[in-house]
Amino acid sequence: MAESEEEVDVLVQRVVKDIANAFKKNPSIDEIGVILCPEARYNRSPIVLVENKLGVESWCVKFLLPYVHNKLLLYRQRKHWLDREALVDITCTLLLLNPDFTTAWNVRKELLQCGVLNPEKDLYLGKLALTKFPKSPETWIHRRWVLQQVLNQVSTLDHNKNQQQAEAVQADAERNEQLSDRLARTLRQEMKVCSDAAGRYPSNYNAWSHRIWVLQHMARGNVKVLHDELSSMRVWVSMHVSDHSGFHYRQFLLKELIAEICKRPAHTSTSCSPQRGCSTVPEGSPCPHSCSHSNGEPSGQEAGGEEDSHADFTTVLQLFHQEMDLCSDLIQSFPGHETLWSHRRHVFYLWDQWVREHQHSCSRGSDCKLIHLTDPDPGVPEISSQSCAGQGHGVNGQKHASEPMEVDGLFLPDPHNSKRLKRGVLLPCPPTLPTELSFVSSVLGGCCNTEQRHFALAYRKWLDTVIGLQS
Amino acid sequence: SGALLEGTQVKDVIIKPDAPSTLLLEKHADYIAAYGSKKDDYEYTLSEYLRMSGIYWGLTVMDLMGQLPRMNQQEIIDFIKACQHECGGISASIGHDPHLLYTLSAVQILCLYDSIDAIDVDKVVEYVKGLQQEDGSFAGDKWGEIDTRFSFCAVATLALLGKMDTINVDKAVEFVLSCMNFDGGFGCRPGSESHAGQIYCCTGFLSLTGQLHQLNADLLGWWLCERQLPSGGLNGRPEKLPDVCYSWWVLASLKIIGRIRWIDKDKLRKFILACQDEETGGFADRPGDMVDPFHTLFGVAGLSLLGDEQIKPVNPVLCMPEDVLQRIGLQPDLLS
Repeated sequence: MAESEEEVDVLVQRVVKDIANAFKKNPSIDEIGVILCPEARYNRSPIVLVENKLGVESWCVKFLLPYVHNKLLLYRQRKHWLDREALVDITCTLLLLNPDFTTAWNVRKELLQCGVLNPEKDLYLGKLALTKFPKSPETWIHRRWVLQQVLNQVSTLDHNKNQQQAEAVQADAERNEQLSDRLARTLRQEMKVCSDAAGRYPSNYNAWSHRIWVLQHMARGNVKVLHDELSSMRVWVSMHVSDHSGFHYRQFLLKELIAEICKRPAHTSTSCSPQRGCSTVPEGSPCPHSCSHSNGEPSGQEAGGEEDSHADFTTVLQLFHQEMDLCSDLIQSFPGHETLWSHRRHVFYLWDQWVREHQHSCSRGSDCKLIHLTDPDPGVPEISSQSCAGQGHGVNGQKHASEPMEVDGLFLPDPHNSKRLKRGVLLPCPPTLPTELSFVSSVLGGCCNTEQRHFALAYRKWLDTVIGLQS
Repeated sequence: SGALLEGTQVKDVIIKPDAPSTLLLEKHADYIAAYGSKKDDYEYTLSEYLRMSGIYWGLTVMDLMGQLPRMNQQEIIDFIKACQHECGGISASIGHDPHLLYTLSAVQILCLYDSIDAIDVDKVVEYVKGLQQEDGSFAGDKWGEIDTRFSFCAVATLALLGKMDTINVDKAVEFVLSCMNFDGGFGCRPGSESHAGQIYCCTGFLSLTGQLHQLNADLLGWWLCERQLPSGGLNGRPEKLPDVCYSWWVLASLKIIGRIRWIDKDKLRKFILACQDEETGGFADRPGDMVDPFHTLFGVAGLSLLGDEQIKPVNPVLCMPEDVLQRIGLQPDLLS
């Protein structure tokens, strides 16, 4: 085993090279790890590449880390010169072993700024580090910085485009498409990185709050993406009923979707309904070129505000209904999970707030009755969310979330709805304080799981105090 | 109801009958005093990125136990001086980049030693001020990451330096309040999940800026109390394991909002005591785990908030001994 300083020096330099070479040999390495191996074996590199997995034998880590760590710090203090290539290799080794070493990520930020590294390369390194350290706060922080660089690049190019004139329209269109593709690809990749990290560590706060950041910055207002996320998360949360962060993400999606449904202009809703599927390109401020659907065209449809209110109401009601249904199913299938009860609180709270904001003069107890007025044929099966959401997106160019909807308009039967009713479609009953209380009673009746009882009683108390006292 | 009930998914620990149940102050002081001296190269390297905070944890717990003189004051002050950068910010260690997290830790340490003039205070103030964004939030360093933790670091640093008026406090408050959730808690950014550590930062922030009335104290208190598990320990979010550090963050938040009586103090005390290592000294996150200075501070500070008279009273907002804050003349608000 190498012990003297010179021996360590030679050993470590070889290992750093071996790691760099492994990445050259196999650019699709997808996981890193330490191989438990207390002693060195003759003439074998401690770097092991098997298929797409890169392993470091444990005996060498205690030499390797302090060495590369001190090298970088000496460079940072201008006591030791490292060329760019050496910096790239050393920070790579360092961050795969200790990804919370902030300063090493900062060195890479500088390399990225002067063009030595590109964003994709750093996103890839971060992704690998997360396979071994899925929580690493500094890795997530660096990712957000890199993504922000990508977004800045795109918006700069977009700005330049606006300044040029018609001669370059064709080239612009192509470049725009490339940029859109790149953004869409990056977005998909980020979602995958978040999912993987969430799978490796339960209730991974950093992974889930990063995912929220990504949606807020790369897909703001994109209803299609929000819908896709909500439906893909459905399966995930059903298999991770203890993952509070995963459920919080659902609550976030629900809240965003509802806000979007209530504020968007008519033709946007149509083009972005889940059935039609608008462009997967993220919409929103960082990439204004991609928002061609949502503005620009004049809306000739002034009438129909009430219909839209109703259609939006139907969509929102469907979303909440499905969520409460899912939650009830999970609570009954997996008794005693605090996460599920906490989710119920949040979803019911969101619904309750929404109702308060949009029908303030309508008494809460009569919600159900009013809905049933539009339903001459009770007992027919509920419509699927798809058909509802598809029809629901109306033709209103004026409504904004801040404007309260007309209460009467909400509950009058509208032509869409009557058509649907003729086909045997029924709107679900919205959750109310009484229906929630009766859900609690049904759980408590015949329940012998102590935890389940405890959480059900706590939920009832919450309903009585937090929701009840507001009324 | 037997052990085979479905209730087994509850995430908690069982405190063994032979777990420590008295406070082993001397052992803890010895543990911290020896911690810095035996540096294994590898271990030292791994945690160097947070060295300044590590020193703050160690010194604060020593001070709370009345053992601060055992630490090497001059060496530490020289170290801090060497960590201040041209921009005014302070780094975790020599050669590392400056950051708000370590700037606060350094200022806290210098307050413990009543030696704030060892660094260029005006430059620290400029550094903090320069990190405030248009929306009132604070970046952690020049690279721009935003987090409510950094809002706390900024106002805590300035409060200790008596320079709160150099930033836009109204905007800063506005941003923190935009991170409040339906459950009364706070996350790292608008829309993020409530988390006991972030809640501690945000309640501490509102205390230092005189804005505690903006909280829904009953709702938040409710959420915080639900963090207590049957073992008596507190977790940081639903269905997470209890942990001594979360016990501090939840307890300190409850103290700030005047709701500490809402939890079972005796059970919590038992849990914290059970996290001591009788042989090595120090506290671990949970009974039986490896000890470290971080959990040792929060274990001792938690016991202080619970009223243990062998320990100096601790301030719940700044996690520093009350006598130090009295000397500075800083008394953050608490709700009653």
